[in-house]
Amino acid sequence: MALKPLIGRAAWIFDEIDFDVDQIVGVKNIKIKDVDELARVAMASRDPDFAKSVRHGDLLVGNHNFGYGHPHYPPMIAMRKLGISGVIAESFSPGYWRGEIAMGFPQIPCPGILENVGRWDILEVDWERSVVRNVTRALELPFEPLPEADRLMLEAGGLIGYLHQRDEAQEKAQP
Amino acid sequence: MGFTIAEKILARAAGLDSVRAGEEIKAKPDFVIAYDFPGYTDVIFKQMKDEFGINKVAEPERFALFIDHMVPAVTPQEEDLHQNTRDWGIANNVPVYERKGIGHQVAAELGYATPGAFAVHFDGHISQLGTFGTLAIGVRRHLLEAFVKEFIQIKVPETTRVNLNGRLRRGVMARDVFHHIVRTLGPASCRFQVLEIGGDAIEHLSIEGRQTINCLAMFTGAITAIMNPDDKALAYARERARIDLEPVFSDPDATYAAVHDIDITELEPIVVVPPSPANTKDLKDYAGTEVHVGYLGSCASGRLEDLRIAAEVLRGKQVKPGFQLHVVPTSQEIMEQASREGVLTDLIAAGAFVTSSSCDYCFGRMGVMSDGQRAVSTGTLNVQGRMGSPDSEIYIVNAAAVAASAIEGRIADPRPYLEG
Repeated sequence: MALKPLIGRAAWIFDEIDFDVDQIVGVKNIKIKDVDELARVAMASRDPDFAKSVRHGDLLVGNHNFGYGHPHYPPMIAMRKLGISGVIAESFSPGYWRGEIAMGFPQIPCPGILENVGRWDILEVDWERSVVRNVTRALELPFEPLPEADRLMLEAGGLIGYLHQRDEAQEKAQP
Repeated sequence: MGFTIAEKILARAAGLDSVRAGEEIKAKPDFVIAYDFPGYTDVIFKQMKDEFGINKVAEPERFALFIDHMVPAVTPQEEDLHQNTRDWGIANNVPVYERKGIGHQVAAELGYATPGAFAVHFDGHISQLGTFGTLAIGVRRHLLEAFVKEFIQIKVPETTRVNLNGRLRRGVMARDVFHHIVRTLGPASCRFQVLEIGGDAIEHLSIEGRQTINCLAMFTGAITAIMNPDDKALAYARERARIDLEPVFSDPDATYAAVHDIDITELEPIVVVPPSPANTKDLKDYAGTEVHVGYLGSCASGRLEDLRIAAEVLRGKQVKPGFQLHVVPTSQEIMEQASREGVLTDLIAAGAFVTSSSCDYCFGRMGVMSDGQRAVSTGTLNVQGRMGSPDSEIYIVNAAAVAASAIEGRIADPRPYLEG
């Protein structure tokens, strides 16, 4: 099973280094459980029209150490509800990375992305060749291939699917 | 070329002769540790059964559960969560440690910090077991993997080595050392790596101070921290160790992603300014800032040396009227010792509100702040809303500075209180 390419527009560019994703919904909303309500409040302080302008498949772009701080799950639950299909960043903070990969939400570490993208550019993530293509600007950037477990987790739609698919026979053979 | 302590521990846990950073392996954790928390343990228990048809964990002696958040419970739902955890522990023959203190500290007291062992938790502050040469990694929801599989798949991390040299001056604490590491190297310096801490300063740091430093590794981007255990660490850990393992140590010619030397002799007290653990500043630049709440506790700080120095600062003085000083020892064992030494007596006499051990003051469940209030805190984190209203603020300082600030109602340098 191979990952399908991601194709979408850069719906937002978070240019802050060490960006704390909780800011997406705001700390006062971090305990909201209702997904529709989360989606309504997401990005309200940055772009009140965000929910209206984002389309299914769109992507987010981030700077270095994206997800630093004490990341919670609701911000990206909201983003997925709005149709966001993944995050491309210069680099990621490990805690955030693990949390979102476990949810089956694609994260792509792509050094140089920030200088080579504008809002609403069309981006394509080619997993086979490990490149991010900016279709609008006709350029390509290599991204760091994911560890095997993380790639398998994305293919399986998240942690649960991945654990189901692990080859039990092979594991038993290990000392 | 030689190997790092992390590579050696993971090689053994994977049943291999050796592993190198970058290899992806399946390793068997010696210990699987968690505290009960909604969305984590309750979900794991349910998924184990419903998704994987597993009614009982294999090898229950590898597992340990703690009840340290929401202690004491204030809603029936919280007590339900705890009761569910107790029931699960009985059904699985897994120990549930309750009301003994903050799990990351109690885990060390109970021997889960076995030198050479590999441990996993969902919470990254378990990294503090690295004080004893245990490789302990917080894996968030991936912890489910360790409940339903014998082996977890992991990429062997690279290691950044930090050599701490020199000796701390009075009133400057391990807490400041950690924040100085973040200030010097940056909050992304050790992303996805192990932070290995050594150098000649270590022998002068107490076990407790080392726990403080290792506890906070995540704010450098590291997935854990570790020290090569010296005699002091081994003396503590080996008599408590739950399994029989030979300690391992990094080879002198081990391969590191980076090596940094940091001298701590001239270090001054630091304040970590809201709203990010990366905002490290000199305390003197913020001295005089009005504060309303003080929190001395958490898995990072709140141990005997923290309580002792706070008592020394506060002895014969009073907390400023209207200022709320919460003192929460990291474990009951620590609280008992502090009581025996008269440390608690001094703190209480000065007006501190001293309570039994709990995580609840650190994450805004107890002692919460309202709009516009500011805290000085030894908690783990200063992000917006962590201790109450999103419009309150947290300034992280060492334990002595919390005590000094409690006297003045303003952020204060503790050193004048420690003279003579």
